[in-house]
Amino acid sequence: MPDPEDRGAVGAMRNGLDTVAERLARYLAGRSSRRSALARLGGWAAAVPAFPLLPVWRRDARAAAPAAPSPFAAKAQAKDDTKCDYWRYCAIDGNLCTTCGGGVHSCPPGTHPSPTSWIGTCFNPQDRRSYLIAYRDCCGQDACNEQNCLGSDGDLPTYRPQANNDIIWCFGTGSLLYNCSTAVIVGTAE
Amino acid sequence: MLADRRSRATRRVSRALAAASVVTLLAVQGPARAAEPILQTEESDIVRLPPGGPHRVLVEDAVYRHSKDGRVYVVDLDTGRLLGMVQAAYNANMVADPAGKAFYVAETTWERGNRGKRHDMLAAYDPRTLEQVADIDLPGRALITPKKPDMAIGADGHYVYVYDSSPTNAVHVYDTGLKSVVRTVDVPGCALIYPWGNAGFSSICGDGSLANVRMDAKGTPALTRTPPFFVPDRDPVFEHSPEIAASGHVWFMSYSGLIYEATLGAQSSIAKPWSIQEAAGLKAASDARAPFEVTWRPGGWQLAALRARDSHLFVLMHKGTFWTHKDAGSELWELDLKTHRLVRRIPLAARSMMVGVTQDAQSRIMLTDEAGDLMVLDGADGKPVRKIGALGDALIFTAAPGE
Repeated sequence: MPDPEDRGAVGAMRNGLDTVAERLARYLAGRSSRRSALARLGGWAAAVPAFPLLPVWRRDARAAAPAAPSPFAAKAQAKDDTKCDYWRYCAIDGNLCTTCGGGVHSCPPGTHPSPTSWIGTCFNPQDRRSYLIAYRDCCGQDACNEQNCLGSDGDLPTYRPQANNDIIWCFGTGSLLYNCSTAVIVGTAE
Repeated sequence: MLADRRSRATRRVSRALAAASVVTLLAVQGPARAAEPILQTEESDIVRLPPGGPHRVLVEDAVYRHSKDGRVYVVDLDTGRLLGMVQAAYNANMVADPAGKAFYVAETTWERGNRGKRHDMLAAYDPRTLEQVADIDLPGRALITPKKPDMAIGADGHYVYVYDSSPTNAVHVYDTGLKSVVRTVDVPGCALIYPWGNAGFSSICGDGSLANVRMDAKGTPALTRTPPFFVPDRDPVFEHSPEIAASGHVWFMSYSGLIYEATLGAQSSIAKPWSIQEAAGLKAASDARAPFEVTWRPGGWQLAALRARDSHLFVLMHKGTFWTHKDAGSELWELDLKTHRLVRRIPLAARSMMVGVTQDAQSRIMLTDEAGDLMVLDGADGKPVRKIGALGDALIFTAAPGE
């Protein structure tokens, strides 16, 4: 999976892939038996929906780039995921897994990711799009306590649990001891 | 030759001085040893605290750096001394009996440290011996960076309420007389506990309404709902909104600084909100619809404290945009809840995430800082009284007698 923040090249690739896929399908339809064409089309039908899931960059389709929607977003950066002002951390509360032996979507060894999380919406200053970010906690060891950050964009109290960053999101991981937090892109917020 | 003589003379003087000092030492020590009795042998014992006054408080330390090891400190604000502590493991909560008869800690451990069977527990402590007078298993409890209203106690101290969120939103009701959980009340879609009377509580619900639970003599609950009175996505009310449990009054404070005075009961009523910024002669602050506006806003963890005897509210304030609701306060605003007027603004030497206040006539204000110090101010004028240096690690909330 390419890095969604480096989307210029990916966008071009996607347009190219669409064109290639269409031409290939037409070519095959003209040259193959009906059964074989159906089989091949079936294969493409399974594959094609995956392409729009690839990050999309339609620079020309976006006449005016949207402004940063929040004070955090206005100051966020997209280079260093070990710093609190990294764009995906707009609503993170806790230790950055990137400084605990893990990565932005990876748990450190010896810990386990929770299948549950709460979802924030963060603005990427590089492509000026908002993304849904799942703050999945890594659990099973006590607090890693390296770089601790508190982003509170859109953070609501615990009576709105799906938007609260104080809940220990370690359900389903064995012990609910909190080690660190990841910030996983789970979709666009547009 | 002259040098030799001088050297010999110097050595003689040195020897004489040394002998004189030995004699002096003997002279000082000899008679003293004779006069002072030999120290007696001792027995090990345990301190039993004298009855506490209004300035003996409980302070919860969540120890964020290794949160498995939380604790509750018993502190004397007059001497600045730590009188004792009890364990309060992993996102614990605590409440004190209104009459000071006991205090309760809800905590969570695993049998093998960070693994094994989970135990959610409720311990009751004698406030003078700090010994457990009850220690039971709970059916569960919500694991949340502790918010004070995740646990509560009724006005007469009979019921202790513990909030749970997994698998469903519910409140476990502990009977302090029977020393057992007697009921679990479901509060679907709602969270937190704001007690009223001896056998009732309200929870805040996700749509901005309240769920009110009244239990009858048998403990059977009846649930009512208020209409929504705020819009959570726009301007939610803080969990740490201050309450007088005895009268069931809560002053729900919103992120932007609106105060909704609520009289809780089976039919809770909520008054029209007013702005603490307007009370201070400023413009009311923006909500989430205009997040960039920089102005004075409430923020912190236990960010507000109430002194019931004169209805004065102390709120930690900082300058910032919307969504800075967890920023530490650089000023403490004292407001009169009856007149909706600002009494004074108290600039703080260090930014604080927590404010507490004692309820007596010579009240004390408690603040903290990043170093885990506990700062004590005079409740009459906000002047510093003392700093209890490095009391803990992450001081998150306080419980003062009679609050």
